[in-house]
Amino acid sequence: MENAAPATPAEDAAPAPGGPVWRFLIQPRWVGWHVLMVVLFWGMLWLGDWQFHRAISGNGLSWAYTFEWPLFAGFAVVFWAKTIKDEFRIKRGLAPGTAESAPGLDDLPVTVRAVQAGTGPPEEDEDPELSAYNAYLARLNAEVKHHGRWHGWRS
Amino acid sequence: MRAAVLRYRVMAYITGVVLIVLCFVGIPLQVAGYPAVANDVGVLHGILYIIYLACAWILSRKLALATKPTVIMLLAGTIPIMTFIVERWVTRRFIKPALAAQPQPAQPVRP
Repeated sequence: MENAAPATPAEDAAPAPGGPVWRFLIQPRWVGWHVLMVVLFWGMLWLGDWQFHRAISGNGLSWAYTFEWPLFAGFAVVFWAKTIKDEFRIKRGLAPGTAESAPGLDDLPVTVRAVQAGTGPPEEDEDPELSAYNAYLARLNAEVKHHGRWHGWRS
Repeated sequence: MRAAVLRYRVMAYITGVVLIVLCFVGIPLQVAGYPAVANDVGVLHGILYIIYLACAWILSRKLALATKPTVIMLLAGTIPIMTFIVERWVTRRFIKPALAAQPQPAQPVRP
């Protein structure tokens, strides 16, 4: 519903040449996230409502949770909006319009994605020393990624 | 950045300790018929968790974390002992590389 999609994705994506960037929002994976967010949002509001009814029927403890659950629901919406906004930024920061042709991107550690996103537009970052340093950081992070393997954390 | 890391760590430990008290002291007492501890600590954890959420969220933005680690970080505050494990993981996996990548660290990086 209101949190399922950003207000105006098309308007955001319009300047990107070579195809609308917002397309990723209708990929099955993202649609799954949208659905999950809608369920979570309404679920948390429902929990808040339930606590409110408990509170007015005499359970003083429930007052705290009456306000807490809507707060969490609101936080979920903020989280969701920010996640989509960041994804737009990352997709645009890399070669705009060629996001689909970079399938390995999601496998990279986020820090690499961030570094790549930060150095994406070459016209803004022509300093070879900085580029080399960023490439070094990206490689370093790619190595660090595997350190988590034996601790049961692979993401 | 360093301030955000410190805030996150402090809240992770406080929230984690309170949650452990809630789950391993409050709940057994409640089952045994003394609900006072669980009630009070439960509300306290609820309030602390909101602060933890805010701190973890701010740090996750500064680290430019992807969705999955961010969600793990945020939900860790609701699962006993998880805050400690996740805090260590986030430190090793994200915070240290991010601090090392900063051009001018405020203090010398530990060897």
